[in-house]
Amino acid sequence: MKIDRRCFLSFVIGGAAGTTLSPLPWKLMDDSSIWTQMWPWTPVPEDGEISYVDSACSLCSGGCGITVRKIEERAVKIEGMKDHPVNDGGICPLGLSGLQLLYGPRRVKHPLKKVGDRGSGKWAKISWDSAIAEIVKILGKLRSNNQSHTVGLISGSDRGTVPSLFRRFLTVYGSPNLMRTPSLQDSYEIVLNLMHGGQALPGFDFENADFILSFGSGIIDGWGSPVRMIRANSIWRNTGAKVIQIDPRLSNTAAKSDKWFPINPGTEAALALGLSHVIIKEDLYHSDFVDNYSVGFGEWKSLLREDYPPEKVAKITGIDELTIVDLARKFARASKPIAICGRGRGNTPGSLNEFMAVHALNALVGNINKTGGVWVVADPDYIDWTEPKLDAKAVSGMQKERLDGAGSKTYPFTRYSLNRLPAVISSGETYPLQALFVSGANPLYTMSDTMAVREAFAKIPFIVSFSSYMNETSQLADFILPNHTCLERYEDIPTPFGFPRPVIGLSRPVVEPQFNTAHVGDVIIKMAKEMGGSIAGAFPWDNYEACLKETLGDRWDTLIKKGFWSDSRFKAPSWNGSFDTPSGKFEFANNTKGFLPQFKPVGIEGDETLYPLILIPYDLTRLANSFIGAPPFVIKTLEDTVIKANDVFIEINPETAKALRLREGQYALLSTPKGQARVKVHWFEGILPGVIAMPTGLGHLGNDEFLDGKGVNYNQLVGPVEDPGTGLDKAWGIRAKLAKA
Amino acid sequence: MDSALIPKGVKRCPLWQFALFIGAVSAVLGWGVYAMLLCWFKGLNQTNMNDYYGFALWIWADLAVIAIGGGAFFTGLLKYIFGKDDLKNIINYAVLIGFICYSSALLILAIDIGQPLRGWFIFWHANVHSMLTEVAFCLTCYFGVLTIEYIPLILENRQIDRVPFFHHLSHNMHEIMAVFAATGAFLSFFHQGSLGGVAGVLFGRPFAFREGLLVWPWTFFLFTWSAAACGPCFTILVTKITEAVTRKKLVKDNAIELLAKISGWMILTYIIAKTIDTWYWAKVLAPSKGLTMMDFYSNNPLYGIWILITEIVICGFVPAFILITKKGRKNSLALWIAVTLAVVGVCLNRWVMVLQVLAIPVMTFDIWAMYFPSWQEIATTILPVAYGIILIALSYRYLPVFPNEAELNPLEPLPVEDQEPSELLGDQERELIPAEA
Amino acid sequence: MGKEQKGPKTKRFGMVIDLDKCTGCGSCMVACMAENNVPFRKDESNKFLSLTWLRIYKLTNGKPFPDTDICYLPRPCMHCEGHGGHSPCVSVCPAVATDYSDETGIVSQIYTRCFGCRYCMASCPYHARYFNWWDPVWPDGMEKYLSPNVSPRMRGVVEKCSFCYHRYQLAKERIFIEGRSEVEEDEYQTSCAQACPARAITFGDLNNPKHAVYKKKKSPNGFRLLERLGTNPKIYYVSSREWVRRAGDNYLKGEGKLKESVQHG
Repeated sequence: MKIDRRCFLSFVIGGAAGTTLSPLPWKLMDDSSIWTQMWPWTPVPEDGEISYVDSACSLCSGGCGITVRKIEERAVKIEGMKDHPVNDGGICPLGLSGLQLLYGPRRVKHPLKKVGDRGSGKWAKISWDSAIAEIVKILGKLRSNNQSHTVGLISGSDRGTVPSLFRRFLTVYGSPNLMRTPSLQDSYEIVLNLMHGGQALPGFDFENADFILSFGSGIIDGWGSPVRMIRANSIWRNTGAKVIQIDPRLSNTAAKSDKWFPINPGTEAALALGLSHVIIKEDLYHSDFVDNYSVGFGEWKSLLREDYPPEKVAKITGIDELTIVDLARKFARASKPIAICGRGRGNTPGSLNEFMAVHALNALVGNINKTGGVWVVADPDYIDWTEPKLDAKAVSGMQKERLDGAGSKTYPFTRYSLNRLPAVISSGETYPLQALFVSGANPLYTMSDTMAVREAFAKIPFIVSFSSYMNETSQLADFILPNHTCLERYEDIPTPFGFPRPVIGLSRPVVEPQFNTAHVGDVIIKMAKEMGGSIAGAFPWDNYEACLKETLGDRWDTLIKKGFWSDSRFKAPSWNGSFDTPSGKFEFANNTKGFLPQFKPVGIEGDETLYPLILIPYDLTRLANSFIGAPPFVIKTLEDTVIKANDVFIEINPETAKALRLREGQYALLSTPKGQARVKVHWFEGILPGVIAMPTGLGHLGNDEFLDGKGVNYNQLVGPVEDPGTGLDKAWGIRAKLAKA
Repeated sequence: MDSALIPKGVKRCPLWQFALFIGAVSAVLGWGVYAMLLCWFKGLNQTNMNDYYGFALWIWADLAVIAIGGGAFFTGLLKYIFGKDDLKNIINYAVLIGFICYSSALLILAIDIGQPLRGWFIFWHANVHSMLTEVAFCLTCYFGVLTIEYIPLILENRQIDRVPFFHHLSHNMHEIMAVFAATGAFLSFFHQGSLGGVAGVLFGRPFAFREGLLVWPWTFFLFTWSAAACGPCFTILVTKITEAVTRKKLVKDNAIELLAKISGWMILTYIIAKTIDTWYWAKVLAPSKGLTMMDFYSNNPLYGIWILITEIVICGFVPAFILITKKGRKNSLALWIAVTLAVVGVCLNRWVMVLQVLAIPVMTFDIWAMYFPSWQEIATTILPVAYGIILIALSYRYLPVFPNEAELNPLEPLPVEDQEPSELLGDQERELIPAEA
Repeated sequence: MGKEQKGPKTKRFGMVIDLDKCTGCGSCMVACMAENNVPFRKDESNKFLSLTWLRIYKLTNGKPFPDTDICYLPRPCMHCEGHGGHSPCVSVCPAVATDYSDETGIVSQIYTRCFGCRYCMASCPYHARYFNWWDPVWPDGMEKYLSPNVSPRMRGVVEKCSFCYHRYQLAKERIFIEGRSEVEEDEYQTSCAQACPARAITFGDLNNPKHAVYKKKKSPNGFRLLERLGTNPKIYYVSSREWVRRAGDNYLKGEGKLKESVQHG
């Protein structure tokens, strides 16, 4: 075969053209672009009709309204409810991640009964009827043995219909042992009870205030109702209100404040008293209020004059004299100054003296019961069920002293003191706890000295958890009776802490229950009915929904229509006759009750020579640290100087770090009298030398793979320090040491 | 056994020895293929690339092999267009090396993209404003040209040449080779340049950004120039390595020296241009964005000013001065050093223009990003080296790559050359470049 | 959607972010991830691999205790306009998988067109672009919350903030059905702006004098990130702190003092 140029060219061109014109390459190319767009393993969300459901979030106690976007029967996005009095459209990272909890792997999908050893993670599915029957049997047995008072309940809240049903159940059953998760609310309740009188929450009219003096409160780090506080902070930016942050660490709140004063941790009360000293000395206090509407001032004044002059306070707090004087003047001269306390998010109740000293500042400048000031907010009285009839066993059970000692002679003003429970159980001095119910709480994670708590709880023969999610506490339970999540159930959401007006939110089923769960309210009613007798008699409702509707009365329609109910007629109380104290006035101090705001150094655990550093916790809005652990999205927002892989960072001043020869990012062994942990070091200029800080909300176990094992639980490293007057936990940190690991 | 395939008048090692060698290199190749398959099936999470290092070892390897593969087009240009006929003895090898470099580059690109099955979108949905589009088109076309240039050499195999069809095909192709050489040079000018443009147009990255002529930033011209300058050095280097390994003289000195001389002058002019460019960038361009030159060379564990000095002085002026002097060219050791430095220099330049660009924080609150490749990246980068060695070995054994070989090595009583496979494995010149970050 | 596109003039959607109000709470990040079906993995602590269309940077003033200061800076895609739509990324994409819309000023990303060359990521000085190194995987059951308005991306493509463009499309559909011609300011808001508890993010048409961003962007305390590079971004920041404004761009020593005089507006 002879090939000439022409033949060659036609061969080449013909071949190329032939292949190109054949459908093969084109088809293959087209196919490849289609394949790569729809791999079978990439989900294609189903489209459908969009609808919106208004509800309320109860992932924390903030009480925000939410609007959930749905596609057909699926919830696809949670948004803040517009025009809601608490959050007006804003929403926090945890609330936004709610659907990851609803549909997530952490859900308890079925009532479970423990098989095998406690904490072994072995469970058997059980039907609701048999689970309730078994529990009722145990409760019945205890009751017939006159042991009804040995049944306890730990609840995340004591307000609203579900906690009220619990309380009612325990009352007619015969146990005084309802315990609430500790928080700053405990302290503020006592402060208001003593100084204002009555049983109520404080309402802070932050939105109208013009000077906010915060003693370590994480105003924008989750204190109070988090979204509302961030909104208030923005309002202050618009109005020019000043924010002063007293904090050993440059928290986000401190960074956003107008002025940050680093203070020796634990000496906040001294500073508050020092400020009062200056205000009184310079005659800057509100004489009308103090003279005409308060008592106990004289006594307190002499104490202040003697013990808290600026030069002395400066030594205690590490804040210099001139600053103290200047700050006092500014606070007193502002027209709407508010002083607040409760460190960080306020997860620890704190020292009563400190709370009183800080709140006394508000009274001193007369910013009580005024626009832009502080007043008491009683819950709307919609839960006015008929008094239940108690049988003899119930009466005798209710007469027993509470296990935690709250309300006893030693702690007369304290309502709950859960932090004392582990020690009480371990000591065995009173009576043993035979059964424990846990609802809306995760004490095995949130209580300090986790190991001790675990040991104490291990002694409780019978634990029932109502948690919707697997967590540390439910892992230890004998039964898990999973509640619907807040997106699957009805529930009233009472006024959030610190909010100045009564408001009720309504959680309502956004989606059908996804799993075999039951409303905890229904479970209580069912248990009561099965118990029979006077117990059943105290629960006339068919189910929780009927109970809730009846309880809310005509508010129900408003709640269904608007998503919330607020008291439009509510007005701040006046100075005249609004104080429910023995004197009918604001009380700075009271001899009979035995209180006088003063500074008593709050010693923390640990020997200074052995543990030269001080460990304090810090809270982040990007990390949930209450009974619900952070969902994946929230974890994702964390900076890589908070957590890297599974290692948590502790913040340390570079000076301190250099002295300890610890480099940025280096591993270190953190020890406290309570425990040890491997951590990484993060140099942070914004922390007092000698102090180290650790984020709260990490170190979970037994939740889900996205949370477990990340970092260290701060509560493991710290123990409670009891406030002598109240029995509450006033620990603000613990002594610690760091060594190269 | 395979003696019928071996070109006439030359001596080759025994087949078992050859097979052993190929087998050893194939093991490395297999490792690379395994890593490649991992990347294709499991995705680019197999690499240590990240959102800061979207381009990394592979893109550097790509740019580097294309730069050092530039010997093919430039030698072709010199021989066919400028009539430097002395180069005919090295042109085959230059084409082969170019073919290897460019096929490797295409393979690496096919691994590097996140959706390899959609790779053809770059042609189908082409954005004419993108430098990468220009690269893709010219690169692919030029690879076609190289294939066409390589085919006649394959056809010259003793057995294939016997088939009249192939014989004529080969003859015809040879005749029109000048056309392809010209096309190749034209295409190369653009894709080498647009590879430079890839970094130079990044006005969000003040380390890379350059002003320029029309749509092309100065890096466009610098890249073309440096490839033309250093590509031939790589051809010389590989030739020298092949000679060392085979213990034969394969190319006459005149060809090598001519190429070395031209290369030397090219490097010198290039490095002067590069110096001016760097100076202008450091004194005018970067400060206009609020940055000083040292901002790009400090506060990090790797990228110090040493890198600039190495690139311009040690790997620029030094080889240039060696190569432009007759003494330097003629001294074997000096020649070795010069071509090696030149190759290292151009590879270092490509590293800097890819990886340092991405390492540097631009936002004031951002951080230096450091990177070390994963074994999968390293394996897939070594893959083309192994493939190149195999292709060179096969071509050398069965094709008349070196026209002078028989003449320079008459088949007299000659000691049998024994090729140590391990020795051959060592000739991975790319490893000279610090592949560390 | 035919006739209403002949609007009076082109829109330039953008944001003004008030850094004095931003608390760094992270809501915008999560709102974005929840709205746009952004996947997540077990370990997201390597920020070079973590898909966050909107990332909050923590800025510090670099001063020692106790003069240290922190500022948070949320960084979505800047939707750079460059000169005439010549944004850094759009011009380099070889396959027109990302485009600058002259109608809205939004830089789009077409996931099914992108073949993952990552050139756009190399071009973006803000690191606003993210690559899908892994196939997105949702734990069993969690795919239920995925929104059909934003398609989940496949492995090997680049993704980034879209200014929640699907919301604009939905708003346009709505006004078309209702026979109106203009999408009102509150009808099209990004997920992050909507969620922000501090109301630090204002979103709207920078060209429209009726929109809040129009006035806010002119704040004397305003600045944009890396303006000097000529990226012409559409995210404006406002901060009363001089060091924060200065952190927005690179300055030589002694440069950029001009802005100091207009402090505290």
